[in-house]
Amino acid sequence: MNKMKNFKRRFSLSVPRTETIEESLAEFTEQFNQLNNKKNEDLAQGHLQLGHLGRGFRAEPTSVSPSEVEGQSPKAVRYRRSSQRRFSMEDVSKRLSLPVDIRLPPEFLQKLQMDNPDFPKTFSRMSRRASLSDIGFGKLETYVKLEKLGEGTYATVFKGRSKLTGNLVALKEIRLEHEEGAPCTAIREVSLLKNLKHANIVTLHDFIHTERSLTLVFEYLDSDLKQYLDNCGNLMNMHNVKIFLFQLLRGLSYCHKSKILHRDLKPQNLLINERGELKLADFGLARAKSIPTKTYSNEVVTLWYRPPDVLLGSTVYSTPIDMWGVGCIHYEMVTGRPMFPGSTVKEELHLIFKLLGTPTEDSWPGITSNEEFKGYHFTRYQAQPLINHAPRLDTEGIDLLMSLLLYEAKCRISAEEALRHPYFKALGDRVQLLPDNASIFSLKEIQLQKDPGYRGSAFQQSARGKSRRQSIF
Amino acid sequence: MVTRPLSHERPGRPRSPPSKRRRAAGATPAERAQPLCRDLGLRAPVKKSKCPSCPRELPLQGDASGLSPPGSPEPAARLELQAFRDYGASWYRFRKGLEGKFHPREPLAQQPQVTAEARCKLISWLIPVHRHFGFSFESLCLAVNTLDRFLTTTPVAADCFQLLGVTSLFIACKQVEVHPPRVKQLLALCCDVFSRQQLCNLECIILSKLHFNLGAPTINFFLEHFTHMRMESCQADAREANNAKALAKGMAELSMADYAFNKYAPSLLAICSLGVADQMLHHQNPLDLHISGYPERVLQDCTDKLHLLVSLNGDSLPHVLPLEMS
Repeated sequence: MNKMKNFKRRFSLSVPRTETIEESLAEFTEQFNQLNNKKNEDLAQGHLQLGHLGRGFRAEPTSVSPSEVEGQSPKAVRYRRSSQRRFSMEDVSKRLSLPVDIRLPPEFLQKLQMDNPDFPKTFSRMSRRASLSDIGFGKLETYVKLEKLGEGTYATVFKGRSKLTGNLVALKEIRLEHEEGAPCTAIREVSLLKNLKHANIVTLHDFIHTERSLTLVFEYLDSDLKQYLDNCGNLMNMHNVKIFLFQLLRGLSYCHKSKILHRDLKPQNLLINERGELKLADFGLARAKSIPTKTYSNEVVTLWYRPPDVLLGSTVYSTPIDMWGVGCIHYEMVTGRPMFPGSTVKEELHLIFKLLGTPTEDSWPGITSNEEFKGYHFTRYQAQPLINHAPRLDTEGIDLLMSLLLYEAKCRISAEEALRHPYFKALGDRVQLLPDNASIFSLKEIQLQKDPGYRGSAFQQSARGKSRRQSIF
Repeated sequence: MVTRPLSHERPGRPRSPPSKRRRAAGATPAERAQPLCRDLGLRAPVKKSKCPSCPRELPLQGDASGLSPPGSPEPAARLELQAFRDYGASWYRFRKGLEGKFHPREPLAQQPQVTAEARCKLISWLIPVHRHFGFSFESLCLAVNTLDRFLTTTPVAADCFQLLGVTSLFIACKQVEVHPPRVKQLLALCCDVFSRQQLCNLECIILSKLHFNLGAPTINFFLEHFTHMRMESCQADAREANNAKALAKGMAELSMADYAFNKYAPSLLAICSLGVADQMLHHQNPLDLHISGYPERVLQDCTDKLHLLVSLNGDSLPHVLPLEMS
């Protein structure tokens, strides 16, 4: 604390002050609130003011000390005159890159045609933003809250419906009024998900930022892998296991390619819809992994899916951290029970070593000099053949599982490589060539089969609600 | 020519006694921070980097040096290299693709009060501050990027500028640090002239104005990337590669505070800093700058500017070198 004094410093810049900090900041906040109110009013009154697409921008306060900068807004929005033409819904949707299934309010189209001959040929970023907001993006009123799905320390999750598309959405409401400002998890999740667009990663449709809260609008998926396993009596069809694992690896490979670790893989975080599409969710712990040798928090992965190197105190890790979890999830899908359900670190390690053998210098170079490991004094277990524990898995499946569950992190198979493992040969060649945004079910040869333990609909109503764990959001 | 580092005279500076260490023309960020220290700065972390007895504290060296478990000297480096083999190319493609979107162009053009000099002063202060907290270089890069991009959207009053600096650092740290700073600490750094409410409000405004687009590709990322590429090449010299990276990081810090370097993309600055570092250290196997894909002319221009920056701040750079080199 003493040291801190050395850096304490108040800059007094040479520019003459026009007002006090309190005043200018208060004013700023005021304007910020006004902006939000204004947006909301517009929608409530239903007049969408599309004659002026740029209006939203101009109304936006752009100045911390507005007196200084009147008429100096950084970028004036100007539209090119273009000849009058009529606009179809598709036309507008395409221009604004909206979802295809969007239902634009009829007034919107009408306004475009009647009042706005200057509909721009191309949208500047600013005007695009303003017009999206005119349709209802970024506004809380666009979403109807249905039932509450769960509540955590920072966030409450609701099922909701979008008035624009009629689709179900998951609304994750994050409270921002904390001692320490916006929660880290919210900042990470939004900034990461904005850059991730993949068929096997949950889509962030929209987010609404007000002074008090941040609401993330996700696509709604009605089940997760945990629930799916429950519903089929923990007895999944082996072909379906393959399809799910492939989708998990696809999503993960995409994350790893953009240098993002998930760090919290578990069945509850893998959402599944009625088509059988599996999507990675909950990126609150994920982080753009840009600092190679930077240490990470030791407390990240749920114990059951946590790799032994992390359990033994390693704080430096990379993409292999997620691959161990993939192995555990694979096993769980095959056998219907968690692989290493330890409740303490010691128990967790014990379960791992009992099945895979206590590590030696051969299976894990350097392990014998690890102080933590030595401290535990584990019994020397021999590795058991995995096939005895997962008899339903074929040779290739066992091979893949073995390469995921390697002690030495750097030897574990990468998600990218795993996708090309012979285990997936049965899915055909075309799955390897899918573009990022294409679902695996867009290929007609890929279809789910009936799960042997299936009880009624896998997504039966009764299963929702109470058994649904809300760790996903 | 605008490369001369901005003068950092502070007219209203009643509390900091003039330091003997100050240089006339240019100083390192560390040097610039010196006058801020009230008690001769003896306990200021910036001094540590000059203390040969504590090389492990050297913030610009391998970040995990003191943190990896005993008995395993560099598992992190090996793990990282493995990950680079698996994914390095796509990481690079991804970041490179985002670079343009995140590059703030002329952030000060529309600022009525904030000058290049003020920006230099602020960043030169943020550098020792981030180091003092033990934050990564990545955090610093992100903070400066957040600051600059916010400046392109919003005119900022001079008296809020420091608050903007610490708030940008706050947001950057929340993304990549395990333990982000506390609001209280940040407010104390500004001598408590701002309130918690003000900082949180500004945070909210920055997030909103930047639409949560916060994950900018950084110089740090590109320095690591090019260094990994170099390690992977056949006649790799790990020592040369690491030394060049350490020196290049120091140069990158210097360039960040200098508004004249704002126009260069992070990947360009990274590759040229490594090139200049190789030249300065007379390396046998210098990095081939063309792996960056930049044309010769562009590389040359940036390299020249960096040489100039280095010559104006020459005294400061040896501090960032690994011990054996200085």
